[in-house]
Amino acid sequence: MQESTMNQNMQAKPDNQLVWAILSTVLCCLPLGIISIIKATKVNELWAQGDYEGAKKAASDAKKFAIWSAVAWALIIVPIMIIYFVVIVAATAGGNAY
Amino acid sequence: MALLLTSMGVIFLLFFYFNPSQNAFFIPCPVKYTTGYYCPGCGSQRALHQLTHLQVYNAFRLNPLLILSLPILIFSLGVTVWNWIFNTSYRVKLFYNNLFIYFYFGIVLLYWIARNISFYPFNLLAPTAP
Repeated sequence: MQESTMNQNMQAKPDNQLVWAILSTVLCCLPLGIISIIKATKVNELWAQGDYEGAKKAASDAKKFAIWSAVAWALIIVPIMIIYFVVIVAATAGGNAY
Repeated sequence: MALLLTSMGVIFLLFFYFNPSQNAFFIPCPVKYTTGYYCPGCGSQRALHQLTHLQVYNAFRLNPLLILSLPILIFSLGVTVWNWIFNTSYRVKLFYNNLFIYFYFGIVLLYWIARNISFYPFNLLAPTAP
């Protein structure tokens, strides 16, 4: 099966990055992850139609959105973590001052 | 990719040594925090903690969807890492079937609604502390 597909196209399908879309959904649902999912379905459709360049483009878009959703998550989480940390340190320091 | 593996290792250690339900250091789910509703990912942090201690049932009660997705997640992450190390381009066949993608995310949407219904049996899907 793998052989025949390779012979038809002489190249592997582009990675549609669905792993990251599923991971982001299951760990913390992210709006950009949904765009990544849509792009992943597009990779498959375009590849089936024989539009290999389009499929590669969609795959790189899927990757971009997967990365951006992770970055957006970090941008939200890191400041909150810093605030938490500062509050905890402040609370602990306050406790020592009694 | 090396960055990815390192961060996975750090995350594993973090979830192994600290219990999210007892540490203020962990962030509550932003969706739950702002809207009061559970999202499909709610309970995953606590579930990961239980998983690192091999308490699969406890993890299942916290986020059943995460546990049911685990086999496919582990397999596909394994393929990704394999491709990176051995410079191959294997693909997970299931991911190239759009029916699977629509089916999976249809389930996610139903699950999202169902775990916010607060009576039996739907409340079994909400994160339940062990």
